[in-house]
Amino acid sequence: MKAEPTVPSSALAAIHAPFEALGAEPVDAPILQPLGLLLDLAGEAMRARLFVVQATGGEETCLRPDFTVPVVRQHLDSGREAGRYYYEGKAFRAALGSDQPDEFRQIGLERFDAADGDAVAADAEIAALAWASAVAGGRDDLTLHLGDIALFGAFVDSQDLAPPLAVRLKRVAARPRLLAAELARAGTQPAPDDSGRLADLLAGLSEPDAASLLEEVWSLAGVEPVGGRGAPEIAQRLIRRAEAARAPALTLDQADAVRRFLAVDDAPAAAFAAVRAIAGKSPQLEAALEGWSRRLALLGEVPADRIRFATALGHAFDYYDGLTFEVRSAALTPDRAVAVGGRYDGLPARLGGSAAAKAVGCMVRPWRAWAGGEA
Amino acid sequence: MSDPLIVAVPSKGRLKEQVEAWLADCGLSLSVTGGSRGYMAELKGAPGVQVRLLSAGDIAETLDAGEVHLGITGEDLLRERGGDVDARILLLRPLGFGRADLVVAVPKSWLDVETMADLEEVGHDLLARTGRRMRVATKYLVQTRTFFARHGVADYRITESGGATEGAPAAGSAELVVDITTTGATLVANGLKILSDGVILKSQAHLTASLRADWSGGRLAVAEALLRTIEARAVAHQSAILTWPADPRDADLVERLVNQGASRRPNGLLTPAGKIAETSLALAAAGIGPVTATSPDFVYETGCISYAALLSRVEN
Repeated sequence: MKAEPTVPSSALAAIHAPFEALGAEPVDAPILQPLGLLLDLAGEAMRARLFVVQATGGEETCLRPDFTVPVVRQHLDSGREAGRYYYEGKAFRAALGSDQPDEFRQIGLERFDAADGDAVAADAEIAALAWASAVAGGRDDLTLHLGDIALFGAFVDSQDLAPPLAVRLKRVAARPRLLAAELARAGTQPAPDDSGRLADLLAGLSEPDAASLLEEVWSLAGVEPVGGRGAPEIAQRLIRRAEAARAPALTLDQADAVRRFLAVDDAPAAAFAAVRAIAGKSPQLEAALEGWSRRLALLGEVPADRIRFATALGHAFDYYDGLTFEVRSAALTPDRAVAVGGRYDGLPARLGGSAAAKAVGCMVRPWRAWAGGEA
Repeated sequence: MSDPLIVAVPSKGRLKEQVEAWLADCGLSLSVTGGSRGYMAELKGAPGVQVRLLSAGDIAETLDAGEVHLGITGEDLLRERGGDVDARILLLRPLGFGRADLVVAVPKSWLDVETMADLEEVGHDLLARTGRRMRVATKYLVQTRTFFARHGVADYRITESGGATEGAPAAGSAELVVDITTTGATLVANGLKILSDGVILKSQAHLTASLRADWSGGRLAVAEALLRTIEARAVAHQSAILTWPADPRDADLVERLVNQGASRRPNGLLTPAGKIAETSLALAAAGIGPVTATSPDFVYETGCISYAALLSRVEN
C-alpha cells in the first residue's frame, strides 16, 4: 500500500481555512463502510478499486472510498432538511498498478437544502469554496473547470428527436462506447426486428391483456418463468423495444450536432454562445443557460480568465446529476484534479431520503493543492 | 540434481484423467510418490521435473504467484486471476480438452432480451424504476466485470456464488448468471438461455508457464527438454510420413508439395495428416508409387515454438 506524504501543518491550515469560515458542522465517518450499499450506489465498476475487509463470518465491508455516502446517511438520520457538513480524513482507493497512492487525505463539504432551496446559489457557494481552498495551497496555475450533466438532457430535448431515440441518447451519455455506437449508427435505416410481430400484437392490448398473452406464449413454448421480472414488465418492454427498433437513427446532421455539443470546452461566455449556436432556441436550454449566468455572477471571486466550461465534464461519475466541477493544476495531469465536486440531488432519495431534496458537495486533496506537494 | 522444475497437474476429476492420458501419450507417465493419497509425483521420462498435484483453481493461483513453473489448468481460471494476468503467466499450448464456455445466461422467459445491449437497457430500467440493481450470480467476478464494462452494462450487482450458480434465478437470489457451460444443457434445464453475444470466453485446458517463478539453476534446460518432447508429440499427431521408391521423375512434384507445407524426408515427405490422400493421389497421378503412409511417433523440429516463447519472456 502506498500512502500520501503529509502536508506541513501551516499549509494544511491555510487549505482548511475556507471550510472553517463557512461555519459548517464538522462530521466524521466510519472507516469501514458496508460493501453492498456502496456497490449498489456506485456500481460493480467500483469494486476493483475498493479494499474489501471482512471478519470471519461478518458482513462484507470496505475501507471508505470517499465521504459522500456516509455523510448523506448521517444527514438523513438526523431528520433535518438542510445542513452543511464538513469532514477531513483519509480515503482509500486501490491504485491498480498506477503510481497513485492507495491512501489519501480529503477535506470536503456536503450541503443539503430543502426542495425550495436556491440550487444555483448553493452550486456557486460550493464551487467558490473548492476554488478558495485549492488556491490557499499556494499553486498559481489553477483553473476551475465547470460542467453540467443536466445540460445534455436539455440539449437532447431541444433537438426534436423521436422519443425512444431521445431517451436512449440521454441514457448512453455517460457510456462512451454506447454513445460512440449510437453516433456511428447515424444516417442508417432501422434494422428489421423479428420480435416485432409479437410486439405488434401486444401493443394493441391493454396492459393486463398483454401480460396474459405473454404468459400464454410462455406456456406454449414450454418456458418456465424464473428471475425477478414479471410478464407485465417484459410485455411492455417488448413493445418499447420494437418501437425503438423502428425509430429512425440520428440523421448525420443531428449526430454532428451531438458531437459538436459534447466537444464544447471554452471560456464560459464562448462556451454558452457555442451551445446556443449548435442547439438553436429552446426554452429548456435557455432556462438552464440563464441559471449559468447567475452562477457565474456569484462566482465573482474566481478570476474570469481561470474559468472554463466543458459540456462533457463529469459524465463518468455515476451520481452527479447537475453541476460538476474540477479544479486542475497545469502541473498535474487532468485525471489528478486538486478538487472535484458537483450536484447529486438523486442520491439522497436512493438512500431513503426525500426525492425533492437538494444536495451538492466538494472535496479537496490537500497534497495536490499544496504547492510543495504532488508533482 | 540441481533445483527441480515444478509442474502442477490437476489432482482430481475428469481433468486429471485427461491430463494423465495426454502425458502418457507424450511418453511421460505420472507416478504418484508417497502412497495413493500423496500429492507429489514424478514424471517418468522427464528427469529434473517434480510434479505437484493440486486442484485446477489452486494451479491457476500458484502459477500466478510463481510458486510453480509450469501447470495445466483451464484458461477460464487463469483469466479470473485479474489485473494484467498476461504479464504474469504465459499460455504455452492449448490442449484440446477441458473445453467449456464462460457465458452470460438470462431467463428464457425474457423474450425481450437477446443481446448485451438489451441487458444494458433492462438493468438501467430496473435501477431507474426500483432503485435496485440487476443481480448477476457468478464465481467469475473479474471476467464478468470486464465483459460487462466492454458492453457498457453498468447497472448491475454481482452476487458471489459458491456452487450451483445456474439455479440462482429460479431460487430468486439473482436475475441472471455468468457461468461455465459445456453443452448448455444445465442452463436450459434451469430455464436459462445464452445471449447471442454473451460468450465471454471459449475456454480449454492450457499448458501454462509462470513468468514470476524462479527460472534459474538449469530449470530452463529441463523445461526445454519437456516442451520439445510435448511439441514433438503434438507435431507427430498432425503429420504423416509418405514414402515411395526413389524415382527421378518426382523432383518437380516434390518441390511443389514442399511449397505447400510438406517437408523432405529420406525417400519421401512429411506432410500434414489432413493431406495424406491429396498428396498420395497427386503422386499416383504422376505415375510415382506405390506410396506408403505412416504416422510418426515424434517429430523433433530444430526449433521449439513454445520454448522460444517462454525464453523470450523470462530472460531479463
